[in-house]
Amino acid sequence: MFIRTDNKITRSQAIVFLTNTVLGAGILTMPRSVSQAMHTPDSWLAILLSGLLILPIVWLMTRLSLYYPGLTVFQYAGRIVGRLPGTVLGLMLVVFCITIAGFEIRILAEVTMFFLLEGTPIWAIILPFIWAGTYLVSGGIQAIARVYQIVFPLTILVLLVSFGVSLRLFDIDNLRPVLGDGLAPVWDGVKASILIFSGCEVVLTIVGFMDQPRYAVRTMLTGIAIPAVLYLLTIIVVVGGMSLNTVITSTWPTLDLVRSFEITGFFIERLEFPLMVIWLMQMFCNFCSFFFQASLGISQLFRLPPQPVIFALVPIIFLTAMAVDKQKELFALGDIIGYMSIGLFVLLTVPLLIIQIIRKRGRRQHE
Amino acid sequence: MNSRLRVIAMSLLLPVLLAGCWSSKEIEDLALYAGAALDVGMEDETERVLEAKAAKYPRKKKLTATVQIVPVRTVGGKSSKQGGPPHMPYNNISGTGDSILEIFRQFSIRLDQPIIGHHLKVIVVSAELLKEQPIENVMDFLLRDNDIRPSTMVFVSQGPAKDTLVSEANNSVPAFHIMGMIRNRSRTSKVMAPVTLNNIDGLTYAKKSFALQNLVTANGEVEFSGAGIIKGSSGHWVGTLNQMDAEALTWLRNEGSAGVIKAEVRDEPLTYEIKEMKSKISSKVKGDDIEFDVSIKADGRIIEIWDSAAGAASPFTTEETTAVVQKQIEKIMNAFANKLQKKYQADVAGFGDRFAIEHPALWKKVKDNWDEVFSRSKINFTYDVKISEYGSFVEE
Repeated sequence: MFIRTDNKITRSQAIVFLTNTVLGAGILTMPRSVSQAMHTPDSWLAILLSGLLILPIVWLMTRLSLYYPGLTVFQYAGRIVGRLPGTVLGLMLVVFCITIAGFEIRILAEVTMFFLLEGTPIWAIILPFIWAGTYLVSGGIQAIARVYQIVFPLTILVLLVSFGVSLRLFDIDNLRPVLGDGLAPVWDGVKASILIFSGCEVVLTIVGFMDQPRYAVRTMLTGIAIPAVLYLLTIIVVVGGMSLNTVITSTWPTLDLVRSFEITGFFIERLEFPLMVIWLMQMFCNFCSFFFQASLGISQLFRLPPQPVIFALVPIIFLTAMAVDKQKELFALGDIIGYMSIGLFVLLTVPLLIIQIIRKRGRRQHE
Repeated sequence: MNSRLRVIAMSLLLPVLLAGCWSSKEIEDLALYAGAALDVGMEDETERVLEAKAAKYPRKKKLTATVQIVPVRTVGGKSSKQGGPPHMPYNNISGTGDSILEIFRQFSIRLDQPIIGHHLKVIVVSAELLKEQPIENVMDFLLRDNDIRPSTMVFVSQGPAKDTLVSEANNSVPAFHIMGMIRNRSRTSKVMAPVTLNNIDGLTYAKKSFALQNLVTANGEVEFSGAGIIKGSSGHWVGTLNQMDAEALTWLRNEGSAGVIKAEVRDEPLTYEIKEMKSKISSKVKGDDIEFDVSIKADGRIIEIWDSAAGAASPFTTEETTAVVQKQIEKIMNAFANKLQKKYQADVAGFGDRFAIEHPALWKKVKDNWDEVFSRSKINFTYDVKISEYGSFVEE
């Protein structure tokens, strides 16, 4: 294999990049948060709907990025709305990425501490992950994309195997009645499931890194469709396997599903440990994506060399991860991130796209 | 030069990783418990003596928790004095107090190893305790703890729960024994589908009534005998179902696959072995009344006939034999339905779940006092019993 030096990523790398950025800790808590908002077994409908809703959003982001091939949002935002407003918009995205990076690594630490390494101090779990992330992010987008290509099939395989084995608990009656309370709770569920797709903002930067931008739309839609389908699968398997009431009262429902049976005589009796350990890699990838985006944003906005920026971000991300005190606050932060994600779409993507279209029309009329 | 320095620096960092896991614990140094029993506060001899010697802490003695620790370390090798008492493969320790975790931590001042719940398989709660305390309080710690798996099975016991964790046989661990008995579901539907902590979580949250397999002990042996009913509204134990009821319950919940129906012809047994059992509950609303139609299906063989006149080639036709078997099933089902509706007023057979699926709008109105509504509703049974064969012995 040849080594690329042009800092571009292929189509499949772009797909995996987007998937790994979206798919993270959300899968562990999503069934509960959505079920709590709805109190009906129709949560799968809500996830299906929000999955369908996210597609046009990603499409819009891709279209916007395609106006400036080879450039990231941090570079072209300034060209569309002027240098200062562009910098402000870019900084918003950077802050969002730092927050979500800290959140992701904190969730990772919480799960690890609760189920795997009881007694290990939290910094001892968080710091190695941030260091490893620093090393990976320093390698640039090529290195990150390659790691994702290795990790992705592994995590998805383990996830699917765990779900497959959990089907022994599946009871279709747990998903019935369909629409027993009408459509109103479904709408609440859609609102509650926004968080799981936050991170799709990465589209605004990775389209600029694609070596074949003409396939960008198809690539990005595939990249977001994979997590959407996996989320749908998760909610069906978890609610169908555990019943609505159990899901509502469970802190980590997806893990509890795998914890609620033992396969005696199988190679591994308890599947939660492989699932958890492998899923840590997925959360690590997730974290690296946002780490990378934040560092990229700062270095492009202020024309700084990437390496010092990455190192400077290490303490900031560590502090962000440690800023939250209690688990309740952590989940509240998750909700806030969801709203930030909507805010970014409304304040960043939509205005940029509209202004861009108006300017292009204007230019065309002048010609 | 610079790169060599870097290599040296890196290799100096590597030994840091050699230290291994931060919070690793050797399994030999842990006391794994496989079973837990919860009783009303009743101190055992050890505890009484300890307390008499002023080993006390403030407590109201609401409950007694017993854990079954396996395996016990064999100290001093096997070649101890001959004729001494054989080593038990388990060690039960009981403590009395108010909070389960507090009791478990009290064990730490009596044992030389920390107890750890990763391998808890069986929890037995005594009916007496559930009369005093609602099940959600008793189970709260067990549901929250991070070591105890939601797959742990829960049983109820008539009589002290800690007696179920005692075995006369020297080489079996009662907790594993109880767990193994669940496998006999392939032989009789008197063994109910196990209720796990995970199920209890949802059931108590929804305040649904449910049944837990009942354990009865005699002479150091444990038997699965029927079920204890936990009433959803209060969380208390309200009564027992007998073994025939348990069979009917499994059948109605569609969780059974085998069983035996013993009918009588002229005071002699005629035994029907069920090979396939199914049920289907459907509901309908007539005005203010709720009605349930239950269709019961069975397929099986006649396996034991004591009255030779009732055999395949006897004056008794297949139809007549079928009628005898069906009558027996009817008897079991009616007794069971009567008990649920009249005696306990508790829907443990999943009628409510069916109703919720079929009439979701109406369900919202009745779900808060479902047990009452259920006890007033009408249940119509229809039966379809088939005798497909008479075994490998043919009478002339």
